[in-house]
Amino acid sequence: MSFSFADLGTGALRAALPLAIWGIGAAAYAAAKRDGRALASARWSALITFLLVVLAALAMIGALVTHDFSIAYVARNNALETPLFFTVVSLWAALEGSILLWTAILAGATAYVAWRGTPALPRLATTALAVLFAMLTFFLLLVTTPAADPFVRSDIVPLNGNGPNPLLQNHPLMALHPPLLYLGYVLFSVPFAYAIASLILGEGGDRWLVATRRFALVSWALLGVGIVAGSWWSYAVLGWGGYWAWDPVENAAIMPWLVATAYLHSVMVEEKRRLLRSWNLSLVIATFALTILGTFLTRSGVVNSVHAFTQSAIGPLLLGYLVAIVVLSVGLLLWRLPTLRDAGAVGTPLSREAIFLFQNVVFVAATLTVLLGTLYPLIAEALSGAQLSIGRPYFDRVEVPLALALLFLMGIGPQLPWHGASRVTLERQFTAPIVAAAGGALLAVATALGGAFAVLTYALAAFVVATVVQEFARGIRARRALHGESASTAFANLLRRSGRRYGGYIVHLGIVLVAVAVATSQSKTVEVERTVSAGDHFEAAGYTVAFGGLRSVREPQRDLLVADLAITGNGADENLRPALLFFPNATQAVGSPGIAAGLHDDVYTILVAYDTSARSWATIRVLVIPLVSWLWLGGGVVGLGAVIAALPQPKRREVMRPLTEAPATVGD
Amino acid sequence: MTRERAVILVALLAIFGAVAWSAWPHETTAAERVDRITSELRCVTCQGLSVKDSPAASARQMRDLVVQRVAEGRTDDEIRGEFRASYGDWVLLSPPASSWTGLIWLVPVVALAAGLAVVVRRMRAIVPSAAAPSTRELAALRERVAREEALDLPQADGAE
Repeated sequence: MSFSFADLGTGALRAALPLAIWGIGAAAYAAAKRDGRALASARWSALITFLLVVLAALAMIGALVTHDFSIAYVARNNALETPLFFTVVSLWAALEGSILLWTAILAGATAYVAWRGTPALPRLATTALAVLFAMLTFFLLLVTTPAADPFVRSDIVPLNGNGPNPLLQNHPLMALHPPLLYLGYVLFSVPFAYAIASLILGEGGDRWLVATRRFALVSWALLGVGIVAGSWWSYAVLGWGGYWAWDPVENAAIMPWLVATAYLHSVMVEEKRRLLRSWNLSLVIATFALTILGTFLTRSGVVNSVHAFTQSAIGPLLLGYLVAIVVLSVGLLLWRLPTLRDAGAVGTPLSREAIFLFQNVVFVAATLTVLLGTLYPLIAEALSGAQLSIGRPYFDRVEVPLALALLFLMGIGPQLPWHGASRVTLERQFTAPIVAAAGGALLAVATALGGAFAVLTYALAAFVVATVVQEFARGIRARRALHGESASTAFANLLRRSGRRYGGYIVHLGIVLVAVAVATSQSKTVEVERTVSAGDHFEAAGYTVAFGGLRSVREPQRDLLVADLAITGNGADENLRPALLFFPNATQAVGSPGIAAGLHDDVYTILVAYDTSARSWATIRVLVIPLVSWLWLGGGVVGLGAVIAALPQPKRREVMRPLTEAPATVGD
Repeated sequence: MTRERAVILVALLAIFGAVAWSAWPHETTAAERVDRITSELRCVTCQGLSVKDSPAASARQMRDLVVQRVAEGRTDDEIRGEFRASYGDWVLLSPPASSWTGLIWLVPVVALAAGLAVVVRRMRAIVPSAAAPSTRELAALRERVAREEALDLPQADGAE
């Protein structure tokens, strides 16, 4: 018998499944009986399961790279002429492969918890391990049954495959965006598993939350950066000049991120004030359920979207999984509710915990709005057969005011002390930020930014930046006074020694960049469309666009019709090549924009139409989009801030114990 | 303190003025009207893109029709109505508030109101206890803690 990647992959997955099932029992037994041998068995099961799933993923990559069209997935998503890069990333270009990637990440998280979590928290982490094994079992069932078996053989082995979806082999971000999103999605399983474990054990405390704080932060950051990478991809590939369309898959990705953002903040309330215990559990459960709901919505063909893969048997299974998770989690939560009493009350409306609560309310309202907006066409059709659409006009109108409210809260929250502030402090703290906000508003008016929302965004952005600068200045001043450090050393030490706090402020700055980018690009984009002949040129927002003519380019996997454009003016001197791409497996040409990116504005060019007979003319659309690159920059700053906040801080004495509360109990 | 208060007041007035200035209704040009109408119409061959955003051929035809209707002097409602008549409500990217489907507009309002009601109720639940320090004392202490939190004191008693 000769070697086949299909046999290797199938074999590895089939061997992993019983190990994962065994792991549920072993970990549960180890947790219940505090049995060391059972725990060791569960740990090794986790590690071997992980290695087997990685082996299966490598087998799929091997099959793709060697163009093994005897595997149906390879035949559908790869072709002999597909470039190596897009061949490898085809692992996640369609349903079965992406479920395999998902399973591999989940197996990795399970192995991590098995080896790194269980020594510190034997009972809690071991119970969480059993929960993780149960979830892993579900995904292994998917990839070993026809639901999402990636290694199904082709009935007839074709000489060449279809190649990936044209849209998915057009940009290197394809290598980054889906894995980041999946990592973010799947790593949130860990906080969820600990939360469930805490409920099962009836612990009532916040150990689950402290133990998984970093996991939650990292998965939140990966999800956030993955969303920004996705909007960058859609901006660079889809060719309409936008980066966010409130497409169901975008909505599916943003919903867990919104709830997770609420969670990351309300966690602090529980840590500092021993409040919101049941609320935090609810947020973790909701975040996790939304990751599964998103997968269900987009992978089952229930809603149409650019991203949705073809309809498959996986839909009902994911729906069943989602329902089971929600019913079991909510049931557990209700059962344990009496043990989840809060130790105290919220302070005045002008206390930090109150701002966190308002922030939570707004985040949850924003999420509910996205959720119902996404599902509403389905609901309306089921109820009355009415066909209707919920798109950008609805979401923009509803979410923008909520986003502005969040910016406002982001400015005041960090400035307020826990329990409440006096009026004198308020005035002292907020004088400079309010003056900055006025400056932001006037700047917006002076630069002719259209619309009250855009002006408000500038005002609030300046407000938040001023509060962050004020916080850093205060911290630096204090360190200089106490330790005699230079300003730069003090700054570095703030980030290193109090990374959670000051990293968080850096994240806030990243969000401000995103907000300013969105407000500016949405309200000041200039659009010019001209039909031109070779040698013609025209103006767009101070740039001169010269059309050099059309030409054909032949590449192994596709043909291109390229429009040569020269962009000059405003300090730019660039040659752009917007094109239409013709793939053998696609009936319609795919547009590919030519973009001259800049810190100040992007010149975004699209070849809209052309003279098909003599190629003597072409219609070119030019969008001059201001500050759009700040959006990607903002995503990077958010990621950087999250890294600073997630890095382990040097050990130090507990100086700032809360005044009225007992010290946290530690130990199992 | 009065000086700070005056500064805050002037700044708030400036913000209010700037927002009011930008929100002031102005004469809309034909191009602005076309943009507004086409951004609310669905490109019928795309997945969720508006006629304004979509580069597709069908969207360009719909856009041309809107340009023509605006030039003819039709109102926004008449133009929207024409598209609704040919494609149904589906062609509108946000449901009209007039029919029952418009209930979706209430979702954020209801969610916010319910959430705020819960938060406010929790804040009222504070029962001040006799032994506890007064709010004012507590606030003063908390502020000091917050100030110290901004530092990274190696020794708590060092600041005493």
